[in-house]
Amino acid sequence: MRPEPPILSARGVARRFGQQIALHPVDLDVWPGEVVALVGPNGAGKSTLLALLAGALEPSEGRIERREGVRVGWMPQRPAHYGRLSARQNLELFARLEREADPGLAAEQALTGFELPADDRPAAALSVGNRQRLDLAIAMLARPTALLLDEPTAALDPRQRRRLWEAAAALKGAAGAVVLVTQNVEDLERVADRVALLLDGRMVFEGSVEEYRASAAAVFA
Amino acid sequence: MRPAALILRKDLAVLRRSPVLLAILVAYPLMIAVLIGLMATYANAKPRVGFVDEDNLPDTIVVAGKTFHVDRTIREVSHNVKLVDLSPNEARRELDAGRLVAVITIPEGFLATLQGLVQSPTLVLDTGQGGITPRVRQQMQALVYNLNLRLQRAFIKADLEYVGLLLHGGRGKVLGHSFHVLGLDGTQRMLQGLPRGKRLDAIRDFVHDARLALALTGTAIRATANPIKLEEAPQQGRTWVLSAQVQAYALALTISFLALLLSAGALAAERDENVIGRLSRGLVGLGQLVWAKVALAAAVALGLGASIALIFGIAIQAANVTGGEPWQRLPLLLVGLVLSGAGLGAMGAAIGGFAREARTASLVAILVVLPIVFLGLVPREIVPPAGWISDAFPFTHAVRFFNSSLYQSRPWGTLGREAAWLAGIVAAYGAVARVGVRRLLV
Repeated sequence: MRPEPPILSARGVARRFGQQIALHPVDLDVWPGEVVALVGPNGAGKSTLLALLAGALEPSEGRIERREGVRVGWMPQRPAHYGRLSARQNLELFARLEREADPGLAAEQALTGFELPADDRPAAALSVGNRQRLDLAIAMLARPTALLLDEPTAALDPRQRRRLWEAAAALKGAAGAVVLVTQNVEDLERVADRVALLLDGRMVFEGSVEEYRASAAAVFA
Repeated sequence: MRPAALILRKDLAVLRRSPVLLAILVAYPLMIAVLIGLMATYANAKPRVGFVDEDNLPDTIVVAGKTFHVDRTIREVSHNVKLVDLSPNEARRELDAGRLVAVITIPEGFLATLQGLVQSPTLVLDTGQGGITPRVRQQMQALVYNLNLRLQRAFIKADLEYVGLLLHGGRGKVLGHSFHVLGLDGTQRMLQGLPRGKRLDAIRDFVHDARLALALTGTAIRATANPIKLEEAPQQGRTWVLSAQVQAYALALTISFLALLLSAGALAAERDENVIGRLSRGLVGLGQLVWAKVALAAAVALGLGASIALIFGIAIQAANVTGGEPWQRLPLLLVGLVLSGAGLGAMGAAIGGFAREARTASLVAILVVLPIVFLGLVPREIVPPAGWISDAFPFTHAVRFFNSSLYQSRPWGTLGREAAWLAGIVAAYGAVARVGVRRLLV
């Protein structure tokens, strides 16, 4: 038994898109102070589960439970910001929507912290890496307790990647939690405490990284 | 409503940062409005009519003692058509090719029959098969009417000269023979010199009565020739292009295109930008998102509509048009612009929600807006079902609201009714959009 209730829980959560089942009923608890990695091949339902945990999708079945007071930051796989607005305008808008007391200051801090261009260029004209950093910065604006990241390091350079993991470690240390979707074994080994493996929309494994490492060969065989 | 206001502000910022898109969105409906205007002008254009003279009319002819300049007279009475002199074969060819809408032929012997004053000569009208044939026929009937009117005046004048001769006496000429007439005046003078007597007194009475009666002949003949006269009041009002109706249609058409397209595209773009998931996580409710687009359409309709109304008003003042621009009514017009923009915005949001993609939404919006506008242009008195269908869309109510707010002396009844219609349309399409917007999350 853990001393605290989970930060986020999926209870029998399933999702259909029309006739297609993207995720069969799944249970998952995310506890304070841990990093959970969702792994599996393409189309396994990882991003769907992450979006459900983020509240960006409504479950077709089951429910998502969020501990009271928990703030969730979500960074989807595809860029999720306004391409015609500049990075600063995007950050200010989402800071306002997050009810930040000083949206201008929050945007300025995010621009500096994530090394984003502060000029007036539209976000659509930024590099893939910059756009991913902008998404991450938007996800962090709410000072989340739970950070949900979908393939976060795909377009980050090694320095940015290191800074991301430092931020994740800081969140974990502050009794927060990180859930990340990844295909990257190095990321998994480096930051994850627990692994959930999805195959064809079903969760087929849940356990520690060591257990996963031991059973992975058998699962994929 | 704070999140909706933030999304509205964001949309306006996106628009400001897309000047080319904005220019196209403004220019396109204005261009359509101008084209419809040109079409309406073309409807009043002079049709090209062939003129074939098989009688070889001379430059001048004399009918009933009056000289007519043939060419000048025909041009004067044919101001509604453009006459083109052609040979019979050329005229036939041009008519068959559709380059002429009709051919009017003066057959051989026309002038002799006309000058004979016994039979009515005939003009021959040959029309094409085009859609404006009935209009051309009417215009040619008007041409013959005008020609008859000229000749009639000449005939009446000639007749009255004979009457004058009978009345006052003098020298006259008929069929080349000169003669002298004593006239009733001369007869009366001669009778005054004769002694009184029962039979002579009867003749005197007759001459007196005849003089009085003949003095009224001119008025009587003119009245018989034209039992009813049509007098056209001098034109002092607005020209076609500055009319209230045109202003109302131009405003409604422009904002219909712009508001519908913007709202549909802007809502679907939230999904295209992959932002809908972020917003729906408690930052902005789906209902608020719909109302943000409705507000966007209303704001843009207000801004653009007010600018057009301002330009129109300045043009009216500059042209010194009678009545001028009713500036004090502009606030009412602004209310109409907001309501119409909101109605169109709600409809656009419904399209955007169900279409899901910005490109599809914009295409559907364009496909939808044209029939709505054209339905609204069909007079409901002529095609009642078009009016009933049109009632379900904002365009026709916008036209009536604008027209009434600017130019009706007692607009309140119409304004209240149309405002209620528009509010109902906002609510109905808003509810549909609220259902449709859920599709963006898929």
